[in-house]
Amino acid sequence: MMEENIIEAKNLTKIYENGDVLAVDNIDLSIKKGEIFALLGPNGAGKTTTISMLATILPITDGDAHINNYNVKNQPDKVRKSIGIVFQEPSLDGEMKGRENLELHAILYGMSKKERHDKINEVLKLVDLDNKAETFVKNYSGGMKRRLEIARGLIHEPKVLFLDEPTLGLDPQTRRKIWEKIKELNKGNSNITILITTHYMEEADELADRICIMDHGKIIALDTSKNLKRQLSGDIIDIEFDIMENKMILPKIISEMNEITGVKHVSLGEGKSGDEEIPINLPANMPNINPEMIKARMRKIMSDPKELLTAWKKFPMARQMFESAPLDMKKKISNMFGEDLIDQVPEEIKAIIIKIKNGEYKENEEESGPIISISCENGGKQLPMIMQKINNYNLIINNINMHHPTLEDVFLHHVGMAIRDESSDRMKDVKKHIQMRQLRR
Amino acid sequence: MSDLNLKSININYSGIWVLAKRELLAFWRNKIRIITSFSQAILFLSVFIFSFPSSVISIGGQQIDSKAFIASGIGAMTVLFTGIFGGLGVMKDKMFGFMKELIIAPVSRNTLMLGRTLGIAIQTIIQVFIILLISLAVGFFGYDPNMIWRFLLALPVVLLSCLSIVGLGITIGTRMRDFESFGLIQTFIVMPMFWLSGAMFPLSTSAPVMQVLNRCNPLFYSIDLFRLIILGASYHPFWIDLIVMGVFAISMILLGSYSFKKMEVK
Repeated sequence: MMEENIIEAKNLTKIYENGDVLAVDNIDLSIKKGEIFALLGPNGAGKTTTISMLATILPITDGDAHINNYNVKNQPDKVRKSIGIVFQEPSLDGEMKGRENLELHAILYGMSKKERHDKINEVLKLVDLDNKAETFVKNYSGGMKRRLEIARGLIHEPKVLFLDEPTLGLDPQTRRKIWEKIKELNKGNSNITILITTHYMEEADELADRICIMDHGKIIALDTSKNLKRQLSGDIIDIEFDIMENKMILPKIISEMNEITGVKHVSLGEGKSGDEEIPINLPANMPNINPEMIKARMRKIMSDPKELLTAWKKFPMARQMFESAPLDMKKKISNMFGEDLIDQVPEEIKAIIIKIKNGEYKENEEESGPIISISCENGGKQLPMIMQKINNYNLIINNINMHHPTLEDVFLHHVGMAIRDESSDRMKDVKKHIQMRQLRR
Repeated sequence: MSDLNLKSININYSGIWVLAKRELLAFWRNKIRIITSFSQAILFLSVFIFSFPSSVISIGGQQIDSKAFIASGIGAMTVLFTGIFGGLGVMKDKMFGFMKELIIAPVSRNTLMLGRTLGIAIQTIIQVFIILLISLAVGFFGYDPNMIWRFLLALPVVLLSCLSIVGLGITIGTRMRDFESFGLIQTFIVMPMFWLSGAMFPLSTSAPVMQVLNRCNPLFYSIDLFRLIILGASYHPFWIDLIVMGVFAISMILLGSYSFKKMEVK
């Protein structure tokens, strides 16, 4: 084992006994002292399982791992003292004050009274919570809780800090703040190694020295952010067409584009299929509840106007979801509200429903045409050729977007178009990712 | 059994104490819970004592005032209720994620389990003695200076029965997945154990079936011993009570620590 690697895993494998799920498939990892290492992957890729095995929470099915030269299987207590961990979901006792949570942690990690006192004040200051130390944790905001957990993970001066989705469900400012703290930690004199899991591209791009893309329990790419992007050399062109009657010509266009020299890969965001099921798009950043469960629950709510009314009244999110729902779903829902119930509907939704019933409602966003995404060597050179090909078909183009590959493209290139758990509607994802990119400019 | 091997128990005493302190702190801070549990005890106390005519109950040939009988039964009831629901707190920690922080700490699961058990046991003892002192103050036990010694002697008995009940609570708590099972446990474990413990009704007036069921209930023996110490009357000689209690306590603690070890937290 090499001296400078603080984490070393060989053939690490995890099979969940119930259901024979291969969650982590024979992966090797070596993480250097002092680096920030990101595990990037969609939900269910095996990131958390990997981290849990390294942190001695889950038994290892096969393979071996060392942290700080201690064996994860045989010396769990030594490993535990070498690591600090911030879990994906909060793991604080809300009935205790901030300082008490830290105090309990320090005692369990065998620190003396003097050590404890100094160190707790130090870490509280580090995460800017020294003035909130005597507040009950249940009264903390999400960001404060996260920061307190980071502080807690640092009390016993670990060599490695595990952060499992550290900014999941936090607002942008809080995220930024936490990123800054993470960078500060790593660059400061402690020089602590940080292993972070995330499914946010920007997060990995912003923080990590090296990024490891995981999917289906396997490592599919591992390099610095810069090198990963270099893998997808050239440009990416997204072409959004107007609604087209005859979608059958699209495959033909694509095959013609593939023939253009310099074009490497063409992918299509398909239009919506006539799915019988109500399409449900979960908002991003939902807490980590089984999406199938949420979908089932939502289906139930959406079939009962009474339940919908309560949902709209209680959760602003439900109202937003209605507004962003596809037109056919809106129509379906509108039909459930007769004259007797319409008065109870919140104002903004009521307006939409009335419009739909009168046939006045116009969808500007939903009824859009297909999108083609082309990766090519030199966008400037190939774009005119592409346009010529398209012009042969007399199609209307709504939007063209050309850009250098982002980490997101790398990720999508490796993992596939759709982030599986959140939506299987490829069209939506391509659109979403184009919109996101435009917003970022 | 490897659990009895002292070396492998691997206990961190400051860890136990800090976890016990956490339980006590939570108890002290949750004023509503304190008020509820006392109100419940006082409600039972007043309903049973003021609804039934005061009478004399015969236990093992001894004549006991029914007020003293019920007051001591309420004390035992407090052990059951506080102990079980304290043990079920494991589930709360599991649900709110704090259990992860605990199991990742470099201390053994036994330390975690014993810390919690100790905390709840101390909390329960405090509650039981407050009930006993209230009963004493209103004169249910008569005014006998010897009561001080009897109370002190009852302390280890209450502790032992606390340990077994908390062990039971933890065993259930580690297996429970959601709060919905609370009602189930109330109906199928706590209530039968309570009504079949002889805490409220003397054995002599019960039907033969009830008498058999009572004797199958380990709690019956701790209440019996408790009454022997406080009131000087019991159905069984003290050593039978003590053996049953001891076996029950040891098996529940072992079962609890086994369940705690096997518990997976996701």
